[in-house]
Amino acid sequence: MFLAWKEMRRAKARFGLLIAAVGLLVFLILFQQSLQNGLLTSFTGALRNQSAEVLVYRTDGRRILQASVISPDLTEMVGRDPSVAAVGRITQGTFTVTPLALGADAEPVETSVIGFELPDLGGPRFLTAGRVPENTEEAVASDADAAGGFAVGDVVRIEPGGKQLTIVGLARDAQLNVAPTLFVTYDTYRAALASRNPDAGAPLPNALGIRPAPGVTAGQAVAAINALSPELDALTRDDAAEQAPGVAQVRQSFRVIFLLYGFVVPLVTGLFFLIITFQKAPALTLLRAIGAPASRLVASLLIQVAIVLGGGLVAGVGLYAALARGRIGGVPLRFETTAVIVWVVLLSVGGLISALFSARRVLAIDPYSATTGAGVGR
Amino acid sequence: MNEQDGLTGDGFTEHAPAQGWGPALIMEKARKVYPMADSEVVALDDADIVVEADEMVALVGPSGSGKTTLCSIAGGILSPTSGRVVVGGVDISTFGPKQLTRVRRELVGFVFQSVNLVPFLTARENLLVVDELGRRTGAPARRRADQLLEELGLADRAKNLPGQLSGGQRQRVAIGRALMNDPELVLFDEPTSALDTKLGMAVMELIRDEMKSRGIAAIVVTHDERITQFCDRSVHMEDGRVL
Ligand SMILES: Nc1ncnc2c1ncn2[C@@H]1O[C@H](COP(=O)(O)OP(=O)(O)OP(=O)(O)O)[C@@H](O)[C@H]1O
Ligand SMILES: [Mg+2]
Repeated sequence: MFLAWKEMRRAKARFGLLIAAVGLLVFLILFQQSLQNGLLTSFTGALRNQSAEVLVYRTDGRRILQASVISPDLTEMVGRDPSVAAVGRITQGTFTVTPLALGADAEPVETSVIGFELPDLGGPRFLTAGRVPENTEEAVASDADAAGGFAVGDVVRIEPGGKQLTIVGLARDAQLNVAPTLFVTYDTYRAALASRNPDAGAPLPNALGIRPAPGVTAGQAVAAINALSPELDALTRDDAAEQAPGVAQVRQSFRVIFLLYGFVVPLVTGLFFLIITFQKAPALTLLRAIGAPASRLVASLLIQVAIVLGGGLVAGVGLYAALARGRIGGVPLRFETTAVIVWVVLLSVGGLISALFSARRVLAIDPYSATTGAGVGR
Repeated sequence: MNEQDGLTGDGFTEHAPAQGWGPALIMEKARKVYPMADSEVVALDDADIVVEADEMVALVGPSGSGKTTLCSIAGGILSPTSGRVVVGGVDISTFGPKQLTRVRRELVGFVFQSVNLVPFLTARENLLVVDELGRRTGAPARRRADQLLEELGLADRAKNLPGQLSGGQRQRVAIGRALMNDPELVLFDEPTSALDTKLGMAVMELIRDEMKSRGIAAIVVTHDERITQFCDRSVHMEDGRVL
C-alpha cells in the first residue's frame, strides 16, 4: 500500500488522467447501453408490455403487426385448438393525432393505435397511472409521451375525422415504432377508423392475443398453433418483440460497439501500467535488489490497478447516473442497474487480466541489474 | 514471514550470531561462471575472502576483474556457481531466490554504483521503504530513519524527492538506506564515482564514521587509491581472482 499510494500521490496528474479516461469510457458504454435499451423499448415496447402471453401473426406479415391480417377462418382455427383457452383480436394502425392539451392548433403527431378486444389479451400490461379504457371515448397512452399531450385527463383528436379520446391511463414502456402509442378497445378502434373514413368496414385483426389453456405453457401453445397452418406465425410476447424486423440488426450494431469498448478499457489500463512499469524499471530493480519480494511489488501494482479501475468505474457510473435521464431524439433513457453491475464486473476482470502483463514484467526483473546500473529489465 | 520466504527453522534466524561475533563474510572458493555460446566467462575464479565483523575492506582492481560479481554474491544478489558463502554466520551458498531476497532485506546493506533511490519517494521514504518491505515496525523505523538522516546531515532534506537533491546528498541518503535494516555487512560499489574528489572524500569519511561507530563490516569497491586510505585494508582482484 505504501509504495502504490506514494507513487500515485507523486504522479497525481498521470493517474488522474487515466482514471478520467476510464471513467469516460465507462460512461460511454453505459450510456450506449441505455440508448440501445431505450431505442428497442420505443420500437417494440408495446409488444413486450401488452397483456397477451402469446401473439399470432399471419406469416406473410413478416412479424410486422400492421402488415399482418388474420382472416376469420384462421381466427376460428386458432380458437378451436385445445392448447388455446381464449383468443383476443388485436388491431393496429397509425393515425394522425392532435394532442389538444398542447393547444387547439397543436402540431398533429403520427401515433400508433392498438385496439384490443379483451383487456388481458392485447391490452396494456403495466399501468403506471389511471385505468384501462372502458368505452369508446377513452384510451391508455404510453407513459413516455405523457408530457407530449398524452397525460391522464388530456384529450387527443384523431385526424381528419375529429374523433376525440380522453387519456385515462398510462402504460409503462409501451411505445410502438418510436411513436406515441394509444391502447383502445376494439370498438374504439373501429370508431376511429370510421371517423377517418366512413366507408371503412369492420377491421380484420392484425394479430391474435392468446391465453393458453390451463396447464399449457406459452411455448407449447406457440408450437401447437404454428403446427395448425403455415399461414400462422405464433410467438411469445418476448419473441415477438425480439424478432420484430430491425431489432436483431440494432442489437448487432450495438454489440460491435460494446465489444470495442469492452476491449478498449482493459487495453488502455493494460498499456498504461505496462508503460509505467517499463519507466520505473530501475526503481523496481533497486527495490528487488534491497530485498523487496517480487510478490510485494506485484501486489503494489495490483493495488494501483484496482484504484484506477475503481475510481474510473465510480466516476463513469456517477456521470451516467447524472446524465442517463430524460430523452434524446424521442428515445427515453434510463439508469440500467443490471448493465451497471454487468459492466463493472466485466471491466474489473478485464482490467485485472490486462494488468497481468505488467505483473509478468515485474516478476521478470533481475535484481542483479541494479549492480550494473543498467537497471532496466530486458 | 519465515514461511512465506521458504525459510524454516534451519534458516538463518536461529544461527545468525549477534553482531560483532564471528566474521561478517566468509567466501571460500567462490566461483561464478557465465556460459557463453562457445566458451565461458569466469567472472569470479575461486575467490577466498574473509571480512571481520567490524572491518572495512577496500576492493581494488581493474575493470572487469570481478569486483561487482564478488559483492553481488556476498550480498545475495547473485548465486555462486560453486563455493561457500557465509554472511553474518548464515551459509547462503545454496539459497534459492526467495531466501536470497530475505538475505538482502535483513543481513546486507547496499550502495550501488548508479541507481540508488526510488525517484517517487522522498529521502525519508527511501529509508522507510526498507522497513515497509520487511518487518513493518512502524514507529521505531521512523525514529531510526530520522536519526540516520540527522547523522547524515540531511534532516532538512527529509521531505525532498531525489530529483531535488545534489549528487552528494543522494549518495548520503543511499548510505542511510543501506543502514536502515541494521545489516551485518554493507557493500559499497564505487560509492564516490559520481562525485568530485572533494565530495568523494567527504562521503568516504562519512561512510567510515558510520561503519566504525556501529561496528558494521563493509566492502568498498573502488578504482581510486585515495579511497583505500579510509579502509582497514585493501584486497586486490584481477581476472576474477582475489590476489
Ligand atoms: N551477465 C553476464 N554475462 C556474461 N559475463 C558477465 C556478466 N556479468 C559480468 N560478466 C563478466 O564478468 C566479469 C567481471 O565483471 P564485474 O562486473 O564483476 O567486473 P568489475 O570488476 O565490477 O568491473 P568494473 O570495475 O568495470 O565495474 C567481466 O568480464 C564481465 O564481462
Ligand atoms: Mg563493477
